[in-house]
Amino acid sequence: MNSCKVWGVVMEATEIHAALAAAVEEVLETMCFLSVNASGEGAGPADLEAIPEAADEEDARMLTSELRFEGRMPGTFRLSLPMDLAQVAGAAFLALDEPAATDAQAGEVVCELANMICGAALGRLEHGTIFRLSHPELIPDLQDLNPSPSGSVRWFDTGEGFLTVALALQPEYAV
Amino acid sequence: MELHVLIVDDSPAMRNFIRRVLDLSGLEVGLCLEASNGEEALRVLEDHWVDAVLTDINMPEMDGEELLRQMSAHPVLRSIPVLVVSTDRTEARIQKMLTLGARGYVTKPFAPETLRDELVQSLGGGDGSN
Repeated sequence: MNSCKVWGVVMEATEIHAALAAAVEEVLETMCFLSVNASGEGAGPADLEAIPEAADEEDARMLTSELRFEGRMPGTFRLSLPMDLAQVAGAAFLALDEPAATDAQAGEVVCELANMICGAALGRLEHGTIFRLSHPELIPDLQDLNPSPSGSVRWFDTGEGFLTVALALQPEYAV
Repeated sequence: MELHVLIVDDSPAMRNFIRRVLDLSGLEVGLCLEASNGEEALRVLEDHWVDAVLTDINMPEMDGEELLRQMSAHPVLRSIPVLVVSTDRTEARIQKMLTLGARGYVTKPFAPETLRDELVQSLGGGDGSN
């Protein structure tokens, strides 16, 4: 995806990528004390093969949370990360004494992180209009992270593992 | 004086996070009640008096906007300060919630001291710490 149309205004993919990067950085550093490095971006399933975690550890247990958003540009958002990273992030978020959260705790935290990252990204893209997020849900056994061929995907190195976010606008908004 | 609060959020992880922030805030927190949506919050408020409500906006069953609307229309509950804690940082949303009666607004993600300061402000500006 190179651009999308919002009320007749064309938004460049780079603007979406930048908003996703800023949102991921802000949320992970504030809530989980994890610093992130943006490692890559792309669109479509072919680009996802470049994600190190997906390429190197096909058998790694992945945790993916999805939510939908409504507003002047409705769409879908997904956050995906390996269970090991989710457990570390979960322990930091919940201030646990243990170094890793349980699977259930990690799932709850990943859903909340998805909610916050999506909200923080949309806050940068929506330019003042009200949006609404659905309740985030975990998706088991997800085959393709990108909800749509027109979606934007970014992945990040946290030092503890790779994390991927995908944001796809409804087709009528993709140009 | 102990501060009794009600945390309203559909995310157990976020309720847990806010509870921890309050525990470490230096405020003397007494009852720390929880609800996962506006409807549940109103039921809790039927049985318990609290000094402040901290609420998310996007929740199933009844969202934070409707909770605020119902509290503002209630002869007793309208006096309870409400602090909104939401991912939505758009100016239109913030203004809408403040117009409906919210005393403060914190956007997620937030630093612990931001939540504490906004809560103290919502309570009338007094420090309230030990």
